[in-house]
Amino acid sequence: MAWVWLSLLGGVGAVARLRVDAAIGGRSLTDFPVGTFVVNVVGSFALGALTGAHIANTAMFVLGTGLLGSFTTFSTWMFEAQRLAEDGETTVALGNLAVGIAAGAAAAALGWALGAVS
Amino acid sequence: MTDDCLKLTIYFGESDRVGRRLLSDVLLDELDRAGLQAAVLLRATEGFGIKHRLHTQRLLTLSEDLPLVVIAVDRRDRIEALVPRVQQLVEGGLITLERARIVTGPVTRAELPEELHEATKLTIYLGRAERALGQPAYVATVNLLRLHGLDGATTLLGVDGVVHATRRRARFFSRNADVPLAIIASGSGAAVRGVLGPLGRLLDHPLLTLERVRVCKRDGVRLAEPRHLPETDDASLGVWQKLTVHAAEDARHEGHALYLQLIRRLREEGATGATALRGIWGYTADREPHGDRFFAVRRAVPVVTVVVDRPDSIQRWWKVIDEVTDEAGLVTSEMVPAFHAVGPGIRSGGLRLARLRF
Repeated sequence: MAWVWLSLLGGVGAVARLRVDAAIGGRSLTDFPVGTFVVNVVGSFALGALTGAHIANTAMFVLGTGLLGSFTTFSTWMFEAQRLAEDGETTVALGNLAVGIAAGAAAAALGWALGAVS
Repeated sequence: MTDDCLKLTIYFGESDRVGRRLLSDVLLDELDRAGLQAAVLLRATEGFGIKHRLHTQRLLTLSEDLPLVVIAVDRRDRIEALVPRVQQLVEGGLITLERARIVTGPVTRAELPEELHEATKLTIYLGRAERALGQPAYVATVNLLRLHGLDGATTLLGVDGVVHATRRRARFFSRNADVPLAIIASGSGAAVRGVLGPLGRLLDHPLLTLERVRVCKRDGVRLAEPRHLPETDDASLGVWQKLTVHAAEDARHEGHALYLQLIRRLREEGATGATALRGIWGYTADREPHGDRFFAVRRAVPVVTVVVDRPDSIQRWWKVIDEVTDEAGLVTSEMVPAFHAVGPGIRSGGLRLARLRF
């Protein structure tokens, strides 16, 4: 049964990412890939919170691996950094990587702390 | 040379559909069935339309629905016969008609009509697999254009099209050697007249069009303002104008890619649309012809950015373009005698050709 939920929520996560990314990216006026950044930071925060809250293994499998695994995206983050470098935006490309790591780790830590308290 | 020809240009979205089929497929089938002289389907790298949503290859999610451009040329009656069907099919996008002259076969008489004397836009349609002088025909052609002093040329690679009434289409499992190419070049009337004969000798079956343009700017040097055209002609038919910027992908403005700055500024200032097409080979002004290099992250292909709008708005966009092209780029302006924009709740312009004397 957990596998069925994993597939369903995996699909939901993927669609949610597409919607959020398109809504943010389509309106954004900066070179920085804001859509992917928001999706990854929100996902890191949520995964941190789930981990901190010590939820059951099956729930973690379905929500963490399924929902958040498909909601966040490492490959798009890397792809967009590469595209920035192609356009000669080396600073923004490296900034995207650095800020992504820093903000993602901070969001996960904050999520963990909040999850552990609740 | 066939004088009374038209160029039909359709701007739309990659994911637009007609029933269950892709609009791009349906349109190209229609153009193929009509047996047109030349038609090319181009996939833009970045752009926005009337809804102001950005579509770009730079962001993965926003690259799902890139702008597409179809360019089709033939005799006026054959293009006009297609227009109602195209209008019926395109539910969101922009359709324009421009006057052109088509040159096919051996070029014997290299005289240009008087209105092309100031400057001419020369478009050459080829297959990617065609060869000349032991190199790809588009490379040889671009060299020839530069040798004869044209101000710039950009080779655009099509994904589908018709050349000499034969369908050439890219497929997923294929080398796609024979997809169509369009080389868009601009130069003085004298330079274009000079290159027609040599081009006729270089290519096996030359197929090219000539259109009237004005060269406004070249590598930061202002040469002429876009004409101040009236909003309508004597018969009250609307008049539109087009500005085209040729610049290499590595050309900069204030430290950023010029073509991206251009699209961003135009979108910020509220233009109704702009489209950037990335070419594979070309040059502007005195620079050597260039394209991508194998071991380089930064790309150096030529990019063409196009804006079409009413004459009063074009004067505003010219100011934006003038600022962004302070160091590099080739800017040309043209009159667009028929323009039809369609979107949700929007239907403006019409496809009867305006006529202005200038």
